This record gives sequence, C-alpha cells and structure tokens, in this order.
Amino acid sequence: MSRFPEAGVLAALFMGAALGFASAQDAALGEAVFAKCKACHAVGPDAKNKVGPHLNGIVGRPAGSAEGYKYSTAMATKGAEGLVWDEATLAPYLADPKGMVKGTKMAFAGIKKPEEVSNLVAYLATFAPDGSKTSADAGAAAPSEKKAEASSQTPAGPQAPVQPAPAAARGEGLKFGLGRLAGEDEIAAWDIDVRPDGKGLPVGRGTVATGMGIYDENCASCHGDFGEAVDRWPVLAGGQGTLQADRPQKTIGSYWPYLSTVYDYVRRAMPFGNARSLSNDDIYALTAYILYLNDVVDDEEFELSNDNLASIRLPNEANFIEDDRSSEPHSRPGQEPCMKDCKPGKAEITMHAAVLDVTPEDSENDEAPAAGIE
Amino acid sequence: MTNSARPGAASRRAFLKGGLAAGAALAAGSAAAGEQVITEVQDWNRYSGEGVDARPYGTPSQFEAHVVRKNVPWLTSDVVSSINFTPLHELEGIITPSGLCFERHHAGIAEIDPKDHRLMINGMVEKPLVFTMADIKRFPRENKVYFLECAANSGMEWRGAQLNGCQFTHGMLHCVMYTGVRLKTLLEEAGVRPEGKWLLAEGADASSMTRSIPLDKALDDCMVAFGMNGEALRPEQGYPLRLVVPGFEGNMWIKWLRRLEIGDQPWQQREETSKYTDLLPSGKARRFTFAMDVKSVITNPSPQAPITHGRGPLVVAGLAWSGNGTIKRVDVSIDGGRNWQTARIDGPSLPKALHRFYYEFDWDGSELFLQSRAIDSDGIVQPTKDDLRAARGSNSIYHNNGIQTWHVNKDGVIENVEIS
Ligand code: HEC
Ligand code: HEC
Repeated sequence: MSRFPEAGVLAALFMGAALGFASAQDAALGEAVFAKCKACHAVGPDAKNKVGPHLNGIVGRPAGSAEGYKYSTAMATKGAEGLVWDEATLAPYLADPKGMVKGTKMAFAGIKKPEEVSNLVAYLATFAPDGSKTSADAGAAAPSEKKAEASSQTPAGPQAPVQPAPAAARGEGLKFGLGRLAGEDEIAAWDIDVRPDGKGLPVGRGTVATGMGIYDENCASCHGDFGEAVDRWPVLAGGQGTLQADRPQKTIGSYWPYLSTVYDYVRRAMPFGNARSLSNDDIYALTAYILYLNDVVDDEEFELSNDNLASIRLPNEANFIEDDRSSEPHSRPGQEPCMKDCKPGKAEITMHAAVLDVTPEDSENDEAPAAGIE
Repeated sequence: MTNSARPGAASRRAFLKGGLAAGAALAAGSAAAGEQVITEVQDWNRYSGEGVDARPYGTPSQFEAHVVRKNVPWLTSDVVSSINFTPLHELEGIITPSGLCFERHHAGIAEIDPKDHRLMINGMVEKPLVFTMADIKRFPRENKVYFLECAANSGMEWRGAQLNGCQFTHGMLHCVMYTGVRLKTLLEEAGVRPEGKWLLAEGADASSMTRSIPLDKALDDCMVAFGMNGEALRPEQGYPLRLVVPGFEGNMWIKWLRRLEIGDQPWQQREETSKYTDLLPSGKARRFTFAMDVKSVITNPSPQAPITHGRGPLVVAGLAWSGNGTIKRVDVSIDGGRNWQTARIDGPSLPKALHRFYYEFDWDGSELFLQSRAIDSDGIVQPTKDDLRAARGSNSIYHNNGIQTWHVNKDGVIENVEIS
C-alpha cells in the first residue's frame, strides 16, 4: 500500500475498527449504508453495470476490471498499476474517492464515518463474483436483507408484481367488453400524479431541517450540497435573475412554475437509479429543503404538508405563455419563397462547426461546448 | 482434399491466375489489366456460404458495421438518461430500420415481460379499466407510418454550427410503420366523462415518464402501438407498448406505456415545465409547444458522407417532414440560398411521415453551399436559422427547424457551416 501513503494511514485506522473480522452484524448494518451507492451500483445475482460498475466480488477484485464497464482513465490506470480492492484500499476510496483516485468519475462525496465504511465493506464482502452470497454470510445476511427491503420500499409500488385480476366485473354496455375494472388499490398504487392545485397530494408533512438530512444522504452526491450539482448532473438551485442572460441557468428557483412538479417528480423518479424508495413524508421534507436552497423559505423549522403545498408560489410562475409560434413572421402560411437571386453576393462562411468528440469511442474530452441539450 | 486445405489452395490458384493475368496485361502493352474482382474467381463465387439457420434473426452485412446509432457524450451527465442519434446519412427511402431508430431514455431501457405489462385507464372516465397485452390485441388495429422527432433535434445548433454530421445535427429523428389500436377506441371503452379535457400518459420505466396531452389530440390520430416495421416494438422503443402522437414532439410518445388518465387540466409535469418549454429573450417561456414544424435536411452528401467520386453526376438526397401534414415541395440550393431549384419527391407522401427528395446534377468540382427548404401542406415554408434567432434568440433549445447549410469544398469534403 506504499503507493498511497495517505491511504495507508486511513487503512490502519479502519483496521483498528475490526475490519478484518467482518461479522454478519456488520454486514447487516452495511446493507443500510449501501443505500447511498444503489443509485449507481448494483450487487446480487442480476447485478448489471449502471452509472458505476457492478460490485459483485469487489473485495479481491482488481480496480477497473468489471467487464463491459467503461472506466475513467484514472481508474483504468490504477488497475493497470496493480491496485486491488480489499478492506485496506476500499476504506480510503470510499472515504474520499477523488482524494484517493484523482480523476475518478465516481461523483460521490465520500462517507465520513469510519464505522459506516467498515460495515459497508463487510456487506460488499458477502457477494461472490457471480453475485451469489458467500457461504460464511449467506445465512446471517439473508434475514436482514428482507427486513431492509420491507422497510425501504413503498408497499404497493409500481415494481410490485400486478396480481392476476380479481374476479372483477366485466364492463357492461361497453363496445368491446375487453379489459376489466381497475381496483382501487391498483389505481392508488400507480396514480401518484400531483397537480398545481394540490390534487393528488398524499397526506403527509416534512420540515426543511428533516429534508436536509435526507437530501445529504440521497441527493447531494449528484446534485451537490447546495443544489449546485456535481459534474454535469442537474442543478437544482440558484440562477435567479439569469433568464434573460446569455447563459440562463434554469433551476427550480429561477425557472420552474409550480412547486407541485417538484413533489411529483422527486416522488416518481428520484433518487436516480433508486426511484420510489422514499416515503411521502420524506418527499415533503425534501421539497421543503429544495425551497430553502432556493431562498423561497428561510426558516429551517418551516414545515411543508398537503395543507400548504399548493399555496406556495414559485417566483417564475407568471413567465410562462402559451404556444404562439404561429404569430412569428416566418410562420405565415402561403408565402411564396424566392427562387432566383434571393441574396446579394457570394455566400461567405461566418461560422464553422467546431469539430467535437462526436465519435462514441472518444469520451476523454470532457469539455462541454457552447450548448447542450438538457 | 480436406476442408482446411481450401483457403490455401484458393490462394495458390489465385497466384497462378494473377501471374497469367499480369502476363496478358504486359502482352497487351498499355491496355489496363482487367479488375481482379472480375477476372479472378472469388471465394464467394466458389465456396458455399452459411446455411439457412446460421442467422435465425438476420443482421446487416458485416460490411455495414459502421452503420450504427451514436451518442455524443458531453450532452448529458450519464448514458442511462441520455440520447443517441440515427445515422440518417446511411439510410434510404423513408422507413428507418428498427435497430437504427435513435434512443432517448430517462432511466435506461425498461425490460418488461409482456405477461407482466398492464395498461390502466383512470381519472375522469365512466369505468377505470385495466388491459393486458392480450386484451389490447383484440381491438381493431391499424397500420400507420409516422415520423418521430425529438423537440431538441438540432437544439445544439441554436448558437451556430456545432456538430459535423447530419447524424448529430438532425438524427433525433426516425420514421417507422406502427401497428396498434387507436387511442380513441380504448378511451371509448372506458368512456370519457364530458369534463375531460386532458390526458396524462405515463410510462412504466424508472423515470415514470409523464406528459399531458390535449384530449382533442388524443381522440384524433393517436395510437397505442405494439408493433413497429412489422415486428414487436424494440425494447429501447418502449416494448411492449408505446404511445404514438403523430406530428407532436417525441417526448410525448410515452414508451413502456402503462397508464392513461383523463383530467380537466394539464398536470404540469417536469417534462412540460422544467423541460420542453422554450425560453425567449424576454425571459418568458412558451409551454405546450407540441407540434413539430416543417423541416428538411440534405442527408447525402453531408459531413459524414463526403463526395468521393469527383466531378460529374451527383445525387443530392434528403428528407423532409412536417407535423402539420404532408410535404408539398422541397427546393434545393447549391449556392447558399441565392438560387433555388425544385427537388423531386420520390416514394410515398404520407401525412406526418418522412418524405424522400432527390436533386440530381452534374457537379463541376467547384465549391458548393448545399441547402434544402421544405414547404408543407399548410403552405408553411421552412425558415432560415436567422429567421428563428430573430424571433426566439438562441436559448430556446427546442424546435429548431432552420435551414441547414453544408459547405462542399473542391475535394468533396463537407462541413457544417453558417453563411452570410
Ligand atoms: C453518483 C454515482 C455513484 C455513487 C453514488 C457511488 N459510486 Fe462508486 N463508482 C461510480 C462510478 C462512475 C465509478 C467508476 C469510477 C471510474 O471509472 O473512475 C465507481 C467506482 C467504484 C468502485 C471501483 C470499482 C472498480 O471496478 O474498480 C468502487 C469500489 C465503488 N465505486 C464503490 C462505491 C460505493 C461502496 C458507493 C456507496 C458508498 C459508491 N461507490 C457510490 C459511481 C458512483
Ligand atoms: C445518481 C445521481 C442522482 C441522484 C443521487 C439524485 N438525482 Fe436527481 N437527477 C439526476 C439526473 C440524471 C436527473 C435528470 C434525469 C433526466 O433528465 O432524465 C435528475 C433530475 C432531478 C430533478 C429535476 C431537475 C430539473 O431541472 O429538471 C430534481 C428536482 C431532482 N433530480 C431531485 C433529486 C432529489 C431530491 C434527489 C434525492 C432524493 C435526487 N435528485 C437524487 C441524478 C440524480
């Protein structure tokens, strides 16, 4: 480990925390910590590469070696230099990814608590390279896995297998008589959309202060501690007053017209890679915290709930207009376009396409040019 | 002779024949030797190839391996929520092969067993219903050819020429034949209540993609499709079920379609507020800009498909389309819009589908500024990029249907440019 002097020191620290004696107890606790990684990494029999490589068999695996995954040059180089992941090398990496592997594309701030890291490594060590549970821990880890799942998943989420039709009544007087009546529980499970007038909001509540903790755990790794975003993940806060600027910054505070959209979207799609894993109260708290990050509220004790959400206005609501493209001069129908001598002089080039890294193989160039899609 | 001896034997024979041919050429003095691909018996002309079962699902020729969708890594933060582009410069006619249709996912490709897929209709209906895929296939079907264009197609070009190739400037576009059921048929089965004015469509993937669609449109020509180009939808196109919203921006064509809800007002979802709204220089933003405007592009020659044959007969080929209906006419300019000639539209002219146009001429080897300009059945003329910027500035991202210019130099090399 002499290649990483700072790593060596940290590793020694963690070793002290009984890392070498990963017990089932540690692994069970580590599973909860793994929630922070789930958005980007998978483990288990069906684990595939996601944002990051799958982590089956990671303890004992050379860095940069998951098949079919495209690593950063930094990680690939570490692997080529002989870095192998074990308790001693994982600890410093998980504590400070960019500190240990400068240039890694793992957009994760790091885990500050040493015991969390050691539990996490103990948990990861229970997965063999093929994703099966290693024999030593198979028995012990299984029950806790079930428990964690039951508590972290919304019971009738969209992933829940749809039950075969109860002997539901066939529609009467319908044209084809196909399909069956939707059950109330089924509609409740899927119909989670929320409108600006508050229609669809579930009963619940959460404060800015609670939201901050949930955000730091589940969102900050991509969206940044203050919603400013890490790398190219979306920015969630700031940008007020930039909409007429050369480079507008469109965020919830500067651009979004309705708060209901924040609640609706975070509930259906975030955290990215682990959607539908938070409770309705968590989402109220997160939405409150996002308001706070955008200076719409300034009190950490502010509580958002189904009672007050629809009454809160975002600053840019009034600036949305209906589609009036047809009023633009060039959109008038029936104009007969010019065919001969339409412009004076010879055409002169005013701008060349900057030749960009358009080939998929060449992703080293990380410079985002003038304008991207969003 | 054993099988393994064949290639060696063949090359030996080729060597002998080559020697003979060379001798003949020498004897004939200045007369060029015949092309070896003609004068020599080729392997494929002598040995039998693979049998019928070698490729149970056929794939393109090994010599077409370069014809693939491509992604532009810097556009988005991660490939799971990203986009790749249709190689328009490699395609013929108006139908896009299923495997080359560009992909845009917000949480990767959902892999759904059709046995586990359900379509629910709820909200302001007489009877909320659930259909299985088998139920859906018992309704009357139709087959329709439609283009699908992402509203952000050409969005990187607002600030000027950026990407070198029509795959990247125009490749968020495809056109296939869909097989499915009219959305109206399904909605009538559930019975839309009179207060219903809007429809929310929702996907089953991990982004639970949602869009609000005006009910008029839903009852007009929308479809719920399970087939494309004669086979099941591809997973990346929403297998087993997607919404088809002809002429409207691609984001509304919800893939992995699982739910349709009727309501009396739009839901203001993230994809119709934060995204797919068009910011203007005034700071105001247009929303619900659904229809895709009249547009065209020359696909060949173009930066990825330069002219390699020198002067003489040249085929200029391109695509034109409009969310309003059919294409009435396409004009082509070779001098950067000073003079225009009307191109020839070939193949079917179907509403809200791609149209193929050609303009053939003798290239004299001089510099060209190629442009195309489409006019649709509503009589609307494709604008210039300057027209668009004058009206919208350059921060509106979406709905850039401006006229594209390709600069051809004397060597036939082509670049994406903007001109005076
Ligand atoms: C925001 C996404 C993201 C999060 C969250 C994240 N990772 Fe990563 N991780 C990545 C990416 C991307 C890489 C590839 C790094 C590279 O190539 O430089 C990676 C690489 C790794 C590697 C090296 C794998 C190898 O094959 O060499 C390990 C180990 C790892 N992550 C563990 C974790 C753990 C444990 C957590 C949770 C505490 C975590 N990561 C959280 C994205 C993430
Ligand atoms: C692994 C990275 C990652 C994590 C973790 C994550 N997000 Fe996101 N977030 C994304 C990506 C990627 C998008 C854009 C997705 C798309 O466009 O399809 C996004 C979009 C958003 C948006 C919409 C942004 C806009 O301008 O339209 C909001 C709001 C949001 N996330 C909130 C959250 C919250 C709250 C959490 C924590 C519960 C969270 N995200 C966790 C990656 C992440």
